Amino acid sequence: MFKFKKEQEIIKIAGVKLGGQPGELQTLLAGTIFYNKHEIVEDAAKGLFDRAAAEQLVNLQEAGSEETGNPHIVHIFGTTRKSITRYIDFVTEISEAPFLIDSPEGAVRAYAAEYVSEVGLADKAVYNSINMSINDSEIEALALSDIDSSIILGFNAMDSSLQARMELLENGAGLLEEGLLSIADRCGIVNKLIDPSIPYWKRSRRSPQDDHNCKSKMGTPDGLRDTQCALFLELVKSKERKRSFSLQDLRCRLNLPAAGGSR
Amino acid sequence: MKTIADTWPVVKGDYTVGNPKSRIAVVTLASYINPSPEAALWGSSKTENLGVEKIVANVISNSNVRYVLVCGTESRGHLAGHSLLAIHSNGVDEKRRIIGSQGAIPFIENISEEAVRRFQQQVVLIDRIGLVDSEEILKLVNKYKNKGEAYSDEPMVVCSPKKRRPILEAPTSGDVIISEEFVMDTAAGIVYQAENL
Repeated sequence: MFKFKKEQEIIKIAGVKLGGQPGELQTLLAGTIFYNKHEIVEDAAKGLFDRAAAEQLVNLQEAGSEETGNPHIVHIFGTTRKSITRYIDFVTEISEAPFLIDSPEGAVRAYAAEYVSEVGLADKAVYNSINMSINDSEIEALALSDIDSSIILGFNAMDSSLQARMELLENGAGLLEEGLLSIADRCGIVNKLIDPSIPYWKRSRRSPQDDHNCKSKMGTPDGLRDTQCALFLELVKSKERKRSFSLQDLRCRLNLPAAGGSR
Repeated sequence: MKTIADTWPVVKGDYTVGNPKSRIAVVTLASYINPSPEAALWGSSKTENLGVEKIVANVISNSNVRYVLVCGTESRGHLAGHSLLAIHSNGVDEKRRIIGSQGAIPFIENISEEAVRRFQQQVVLIDRIGLVDSEEILKLVNKYKNKGEAYSDEPMVVCSPKKRRPILEAPTSGDVIISEEFVMDTAAGIVYQAENL
């Protein structure tokens, strides 16, 4: 038995359920495609890529999902308006899965939100993300779009403590005039997926605890980035840094795929 | 006078250490460009917050470094190069936001205002954002690697500003039920017998 006292919300995005009490639903996993320096991308600005290789990757994720029962979502990363729309078109042509819209540029994310609304894909789209960089024009674009699912990122660049990250979500932590959850409400976001943004560079062993604490407070689906695990493994592979991590760090990181994802 | 901190470079990152006595460090932003051993430090920087912090920390902890060449392709959205130039020109405001930066989240968490001032005083930034020609970059490194004197003060090792410490209170109620007998308080990360709460 491992059960939060607080009621845990279950949400549904394009037929995929996530959230709930631990064990109630299988963890949703999101594989990223077209990320920075992804070898299948030929021109990141124009959105040119190896279509056969990309299709193979999406199919591989779908096959893995069918085999394990873990639902999946395709995490689309693009850096320009042209590339993100090309990527969205491609992924939605070959897969029925919901997808994440991700870009480091708010203007690109906002454009993608408008685009999926125009072409009737907003019900499958999850905005990634509402975070402390959001500005008025991005809020307006998201509010005008038909998107009703979004990741809410607790990353607080001024204070990485869990308390500060939760404050950013709840009241803006003195950096924003209102909390990110309130902004999400104004944008019409119904399905909120909380990313508590647990820093990978420190307190790594606290990750599952922070994750539990966030879920206990919010009662919403939450998740972790795979960098919590993959990045660390890269560091471990690096010989000169090998000794700087304890066994406990490693154990925590390797446990994260089970604790992480969106659930 | 001591010019290099004992444990220099003081923070880890995606960089190569060359000649610690060189007057120049090279930041290649989002590009990978083969490093030259003639530069004190040579590496990428893709973010407008942590990336900037790391550069500041590693530069001011080596007084030999007087020039920072900012080159390579800018990281889209983050604008790490633009943010580095902005912190050098303008510093940070009372919320520790880099003044004038258009980067996504240009906030500084782990270095003090004193460290920012030291960075502004110690080095000159050479703005060549967009330059990826390695021969041209090497020419600039050779031009500046022996130029001038080391900075007049000893290296500065950054300390993070004081942060709020989590208040550890005795748990009053477990928020996760582990079993009929035990509960867990997720804030404290401690498992208790349910009857004790």
